[in-house]
Amino acid sequence: MSMVPSAKSAGALYWPVQARRNIGVRSLFLVVLAFLVAYGVLFPGLFTASGFAKFTQSWFPLALVAMAQAILMLTGGISLAIGATVSLGAVIAATTMAGPLGVAGGVAIVVLAGLGIGAATGFIVVKLRLPAIVVTLAGSFIIGGAALLILPRPGGAIPAWLSDLLAGDTPAAFVLLVVIVLLWKLYLATPLGLSLYAAGENPVGAYRSGVPVDAARVAAYAISGLLSTGAGLFVAAQTGSGDPVIGTAFTLNSIAAAVLGGIGFLGGQGTMRGALAGSLLLSLMISVMFFLGFTPVAQYVAQGLIIIGAVAIPQFRKVQP
Amino acid sequence: MTTVAPLLAARGASKAFFGNPVLRGVSIALQPGRVHALLGENGAGKSTLINLLSGALRPDGGEIEVDGRAVPRMTPALARQAGIAVVQQELSLTASLSIAENIGLGAYPKRFGLIDYNELAARAKAACALVGLNEPLSTPVGQLALGRRQMVEIAKALYRMPRVLILDEPTSSLSATETKILTDLLERLRGEGIAILYISHRLNEVMALCQHVTVLKDGTCTADRSLQGTDAAGLVRLMVGRDPGDLFPQWQPSASPASAISVRGFSAGLMRDVDLDIRAGEVLGVGGLVGQGQEDLLLGLYGAIPAKAASAVVNGASGLPGGVPKANALGLAYVPADRKREGLHLIHPILTNMMLPAFARLPALKLRSRKTERETGKSLAAQLAIKGDLQRPAQALSGGNQQKVALAKWMPHDPLVLLLNDPTRGVDVETKREIYLMLRGFAAAGKAVVLLSSDTPELVHLCDRVAVVREGRITATLERAALSEEAIVSAAMGAEKQKVAA
Amino acid sequence: MTAWNDSTGGIRASAILKSRPFLTLAIVAAVWIAASFVSRGFGAYGHLRYLVELGAVIGLVAAGQTFVVIAGGIDLSVAAIVTVSAISLPLLSWQADPTGLVSILAVLALTTIIGVVNGLGVALLRVHPMIMTLAMATFLQGLLIIIAGGSAVTAENPLVHWLGNARPAGVPAGIILWVAVSAIVLTVMHATPFGARIFAMGANPLAASLSGVPVTSTTLAVYGISGFTAGLAGVLVLGMNGQGYVGIGDPYLLASIAAVVLGGTSILGGLGTYAGTIPGAVLLVTITALITVVNASPGWRSILFGSLILGLLLLSGREQARR
Repeated sequence: MSMVPSAKSAGALYWPVQARRNIGVRSLFLVVLAFLVAYGVLFPGLFTASGFAKFTQSWFPLALVAMAQAILMLTGGISLAIGATVSLGAVIAATTMAGPLGVAGGVAIVVLAGLGIGAATGFIVVKLRLPAIVVTLAGSFIIGGAALLILPRPGGAIPAWLSDLLAGDTPAAFVLLVVIVLLWKLYLATPLGLSLYAAGENPVGAYRSGVPVDAARVAAYAISGLLSTGAGLFVAAQTGSGDPVIGTAFTLNSIAAAVLGGIGFLGGQGTMRGALAGSLLLSLMISVMFFLGFTPVAQYVAQGLIIIGAVAIPQFRKVQP
Repeated sequence: MTTVAPLLAARGASKAFFGNPVLRGVSIALQPGRVHALLGENGAGKSTLINLLSGALRPDGGEIEVDGRAVPRMTPALARQAGIAVVQQELSLTASLSIAENIGLGAYPKRFGLIDYNELAARAKAACALVGLNEPLSTPVGQLALGRRQMVEIAKALYRMPRVLILDEPTSSLSATETKILTDLLERLRGEGIAILYISHRLNEVMALCQHVTVLKDGTCTADRSLQGTDAAGLVRLMVGRDPGDLFPQWQPSASPASAISVRGFSAGLMRDVDLDIRAGEVLGVGGLVGQGQEDLLLGLYGAIPAKAASAVVNGASGLPGGVPKANALGLAYVPADRKREGLHLIHPILTNMMLPAFARLPALKLRSRKTERETGKSLAAQLAIKGDLQRPAQALSGGNQQKVALAKWMPHDPLVLLLNDPTRGVDVETKREIYLMLRGFAAAGKAVVLLSSDTPELVHLCDRVAVVREGRITATLERAALSEEAIVSAAMGAEKQKVAA
Repeated sequence: MTAWNDSTGGIRASAILKSRPFLTLAIVAAVWIAASFVSRGFGAYGHLRYLVELGAVIGLVAAGQTFVVIAGGIDLSVAAIVTVSAISLPLLSWQADPTGLVSILAVLALTTIIGVVNGLGVALLRVHPMIMTLAMATFLQGLLIIIAGGSAVTAENPLVHWLGNARPAGVPAGIILWVAVSAIVLTVMHATPFGARIFAMGANPLAASLSGVPVTSTTLAVYGISGFTAGLAGVLVLGMNGQGYVGIGDPYLLASIAAVVLGGTSILGGLGTYAGTIPGAVLLVTITALITVVNASPGWRSILFGSLILGLLLLSGREQARR
């Protein structure tokens, strides 16, 4: 899934390195596969074109926010403002795209807002040395407030053709996800991108080796912001309108997906393919529970239990000799 | 020869941390084509000097010169541009990245803005070949043993084609073969005109490899001379400032037949199936090469890691403690090796650090008496000669004084068994002497002292018996009469059998 | 900051003046004085008393949060626990309990157990506190909707009503409760071995455990305390509101963490005091009140609130790098 080649850097070293990164997540891949099979049995429609489209569409925003959270956690940071940023992306899309700016202008503003918010957050956390968890907590108020200013109550509109393209009977979400994963691989093949790991795991050593630690971390926040507003744009397209609080649940889910995917809190631990698999697993669990007729409420309960279980069981095994 | 401008030099450099001077007016000059040894005890200021030379720290006074020109604001980036590469003791590697990605970190070859993996592979392979690393370049560094990681770190320095190469105890975790590869390599690099600064505690290595030596003692330079015409004993005198014999106190055996700890079939961590008796009134040394399970032996007895034993008697109670609070209640105390990580709460006041074991065993909600605490703290400070305001955070203390605090906090509880993990690592000579006196004092008072040490002379001169650990087992228990550095080292290397045969 | 890292010696006047709690208190005073010039009525005794009464709820939630943060953790489930308390209490009122005390105690026992379960996950299963408490919050949210549905429940508990409305000697009962809890919290935190263990655990858990600190039981206690004080806050908020509903506790998660951090407690653990959290809580309600006075839209209110917290952090919340 995330093993897609990046055209420029193929070589005798690149591929073995990529293959080695699978080692930690193999069992996770198996679990995801098992869930996919179970889901396919319960819901054979998955293998039709429209079923596949619907499924990837429900997964897509979660995949994006999982990536947004994972990239921060890899650098040793975290964001509690992901949900608010998703909401902001959604309301910007819903208020600009149907207007004179058009879709292109709307996309541009969504992108700029994401990059700008992320970079500003990163600057405050990295350069002013404030704890990420508190900064993003305060940031979630500011960003959420901005979303409320732009669109005080659900409304706005997304051009119907765009909604149809992204959230209709098309594999557009899947294609987009593949493109995003390819871009991520490309970023990770740049010196700045690969510095993420060193900056998160051994910042002192990385600094001594000449890695631009601060730049790598600020860039991570910017990319995280971009992925979050992008997820918001997609959610707006799915619903056809904007909602200033639609993203709220994504904060928890992004952390849950990243942790399910094996990303550690201490920085430098885990892989993006793991985070994507974690988001897929979470998305599958939600879908399976829905299909089994769980009420949304029971889903909450089960989700809480599953997350604790998934995180605790491997730990518990480690403790037992 | 001295007319050539040194590639890298410090002139009268000084540096202090938290008000403690660490370096005072130190000068050093690294000449091309010379391996320059930097000697000194732990805490003498060697690492600080390296950090000044490589721009990681800025001197408080004095200058750093590159090619004879003063560089007023040395930074790691400037140092790299000047061709200075440092192999630090604390590795700068990232466990989740591959060998090649680590070697190139911070200086990746680029093509179209992307890392050129083919070029990186070629150059990293060349660097690895120099140090004899033959693992696949794609192996994540986290999967390598410590010695191999050290070789990656050295390859990382070589990858940058340095003019000045600084190595801080590069051989401490290397095997004999790896050490040989490294010394051969350094000889060759010297021939190519590279200036090398070499820090090691192994004097035979220094004598064989280096041409010039600078000796630091307590932050000042006590020697800057050619190695020709010196011998190892002379170097030790320069480092310690006295004959090595004076360091250790005279003592009489005070061991009683009473057993403090007795375990059979004890296993914990790396330790497997060990029988051990620790007597009251003795200092039992635990020796061996680094990482053979010695630490697990202490931690297992202390209940800090899971342990099991076929039978165990600890201070009269049968069974292992199974937990730290229980071990404390049985009269065990443990002083860890890594003061900063395991021993102290650096951000808390010295007094709070001293009182922590008391807080841990007092009833949770009993009201504290600040007055009693102050008095206890004062008397402990007086007893152990810890100077200054006890309200200062512990990080304001020097390494030696921190170690005293780590010891002092157990004193009010009068432990019957003291488990000490390398208590003199990074401690200045004076404090070492004080600690040695204290340890013999404990033994004389009828307590059992278990001294795990990486410093072999310490084991020889201070212990009643020494248990040598190798691959998780006690391979030899040497009585005082049989104690010598040679006996301990050969038991540690597993060589004693061949020797007996020969 | 060092003056408040559980200093063991005598407290000197200069140390108090330089300390973070005092700084936060000074900011509160300055804001109050400035605001009463700008807006008539703000500085009236009745209004200030009302502010402190609102602050009591945040202060109670933040009491447990202060313990958890000093011990090196974080509790993201406090909002859900407040709601659990405010919703389950009305459901627990029965005839044989005329004063309502028994049902309050039952609810507090329940929320304490919830906290202890958080502690079990953190200490024994070694789940990261953020995940453990977030998952607990998710779990509780679901459970609450199942139990209470979407409708509000009315409390018919005399003691709860008294807590929310009575004013013995002109002081709201909520403030009296807060003062009492504060006294206990400050004593436990700074004058008992238990308090010292918490600071030690937060600063260096490994060194604490090697010094004999019973880390597991202390962790359980700390999260249990957080569950208890959040439950207590739920009782108070139910009394002040008259009704409990799903979401009643939501504002208190961010508020509790913000109060702790504004009061000078390090989010990294090991340093801090509840004496800072108290003015921190009052500062938060003051900011909220000011924003209400400005009569801005909800969006602006939220932006102002976030910016002010961020600004205050920049002013005083810089964490020194620690390794």
